[in-house]
Amino acid sequence: MIEELEIILETTSKILQKHVNHSLRQNIVSENTDILNLWNDIEKNGLPKISVKEKFGGYEIPFFSILPLIKIVNNHGTPLPLSETILSNYILSESDINPPNGIVTFATDTKNLQIKNNMISGEILSVPYLNLTKNLLIVHELNNVKKAILIDEINGEIIHKKNFLAEPRYNIKVENLNIAEIRPIKNNIDFNFLGAILRSAQMIGAMEKVLDLSINYCSERKQFGRALSKFQAIQHQISEMAVELSASSAALSTITELGLGEKNSNDTAILKIRAGFAAGKIIAISHQVHGAIGFTKEYELSYFTKNLNSWRNDFGNESFWEEFLGKRFLEKNNKNLWEYLT
Amino acid sequence: MSKFNFPFIKETNELSNLRKEVREFITTCINNNEFTPSPDAWVFSADPSFSKKLGSKGWLGMSFPKEYGGHQRTALERYVVTEELLSSGAPVAAHWIADRQSGSQILRYGNEKQKSSIIPRITAGECFFAIGMSEPDSGSDLASVKTKATKTKNGWKLEGRKIWSTGAHLAHYMIVLARTSPASEKNRHEGLSQFLVDLSLPNVKITGIPDMTGQRHFNETLFDNVELSDDSLLGEEGKGWKQVVGELALERSGPERFLSHFTLLDSFINEFRNSLIHSGTKIVGKLISEIQTLRRMSFSVASMLQNGESPETQAAFVKELGNKFEKMMIETLREFSNIVPLHEWPNQLQNLFEDATLRIPSNSLRGGTTEIMKGIIARQLGLR
Repeated sequence: MIEELEIILETTSKILQKHVNHSLRQNIVSENTDILNLWNDIEKNGLPKISVKEKFGGYEIPFFSILPLIKIVNNHGTPLPLSETILSNYILSESDINPPNGIVTFATDTKNLQIKNNMISGEILSVPYLNLTKNLLIVHELNNVKKAILIDEINGEIIHKKNFLAEPRYNIKVENLNIAEIRPIKNNIDFNFLGAILRSAQMIGAMEKVLDLSINYCSERKQFGRALSKFQAIQHQISEMAVELSASSAALSTITELGLGEKNSNDTAILKIRAGFAAGKIIAISHQVHGAIGFTKEYELSYFTKNLNSWRNDFGNESFWEEFLGKRFLEKNNKNLWEYLT
Repeated sequence: MSKFNFPFIKETNELSNLRKEVREFITTCINNNEFTPSPDAWVFSADPSFSKKLGSKGWLGMSFPKEYGGHQRTALERYVVTEELLSSGAPVAAHWIADRQSGSQILRYGNEKQKSSIIPRITAGECFFAIGMSEPDSGSDLASVKTKATKTKNGWKLEGRKIWSTGAHLAHYMIVLARTSPASEKNRHEGLSQFLVDLSLPNVKITGIPDMTGQRHFNETLFDNVELSDDSLLGEEGKGWKQVVGELALERSGPERFLSHFTLLDSFINEFRNSLIHSGTKIVGKLISEIQTLRRMSFSVASMLQNGESPETQAAFVKELGNKFEKMMIETLREFSNIVPLHEWPNQLQNLFEDATLRIPSNSLRGGTTEIMKGIIARQLGLR
């Protein structure tokens, strides 16, 4: 399986290198044939269903093992919701729902959701790339059971379009919309945990790119007669980026190896805290060392930093998970800290 | 970025059992009043009889070969033992440097006589070491050391001064970095060598330097034309720089870079658990996330050492993050005094806190400054 994954990672890199460039990122609409071509290539290689069960036509590689793929997709700054689709399809498949073809996006949050007669009403919030698909996964708890809800003909009133982020996002109000499938999620998997892991892996991929952009820019740009990278003040700032990134990567490798079990749910919290904190530092430092060019739309840095800003707030920010970790330790056991940590 | 990976290493059942065994031993020692947990104990708290006890348990020189009295266990096993000792504030300063770096350095570069005469004593907890790197005019700029060793008929003559030599007044040996030939124009790192120096030799003068807490662990060590035997040279003449860089990887990556003040945090949480539930869950969560990440990274470096890799850069990452964490931790506890004023803290906790506040500036100096760590990282990133 590891070999299989290696091949998939290589193929993915090739596809993304071929299609993704910064002008593509500035025209994320369904009419853009370049966007369609990219998605077709992705789908042809089975990437959207990589963690889907074989009986539904997937590769059945565990979701946690494919986090390196999520990193690569976002390291290339791919302006399509492939990461979202992979997670949505994984949840659908785990809930014994056959995932549809095409893009499947998910609702990051909901408000006043009501389900009656196989129809759904309410506000569905912060949905990435809703302009590119009709397929939407909502995870909603009904009578203490987490349910996967698939909608395959989403329409409703767009109540807010978030333009300040690199990826398009929508809040939508729906009324008596038909539900295609609704089933309990196997093992009661917590979507908030999976979402936090997904966003962290995306952030780490993007942060690696931001670090590379900063190193390259500072090595080329000359001021006062020498490359910026020769100034110790700049070197130390970039080192700090690398330090924060390495800590996040270490936290991610824990999840990649252990997955998400009863025993290590703290590791998700640690990952999201670490990645969110690192993103804050890395956004600030990368813009600082880039100067004004980094603040332009034309240069690609901002595509990544805008996404980082949005992902660090999804599925719980650092404070949310810090509270979670602290509460869990303080309230639920009487062990001293060292026993708890080991 | 692949060179900065810290692969996840799982703690096996064998390791967990070892952890348990060490913990029980420590609890017994504390219950028998054999030691009082103290902060920064690997620097400040030396107790040769405790070191000897650890030696007899087989917890010193753990990874050293059996033929030299070692236990041929893994770097991961050693990691687990050191974590337990550090987190309980045990008095480990006497043997710390010998067990952490000097022993490995001798095993790697030493001749047969050096190995067979010294390693078994380190493993028994009877032979202690000090570091001989810094000098009055050479701190961060280590390659500028002026201590000189000159070839004589029977060996070497050592002349110079080492400073900040923690524990030299208790140590039997010092590994001294000295110049054996002038630096070349192009490469200052040439012409340096390491020497294994018996501190009881004539003309070695050790003077204590009280630090800002008033305690003594620092020393100045003067070598006033000390006659060294021929086999005092450690490793190869002129290869001292390469050797010392490897030694620093052992020095920088361990859990002492983030567990030096763990006893303070532990006592703090035990004391204020109820108030923290109401107004401190977030800060406790933040601290837990930092410690766990650092433990994973440091454990990962231990596994790299075990595999014979040279994780000098990864060690710099751990040290830099660990130093930052410890400073943040003390700041965090200080801010909590907004909720329970400092003067209402129990005396022992107040003392620990004040001690830590005083000692914390040294954590990003010893073993290489923040600036040096960032420089090492910048070089790996291709910026220098």
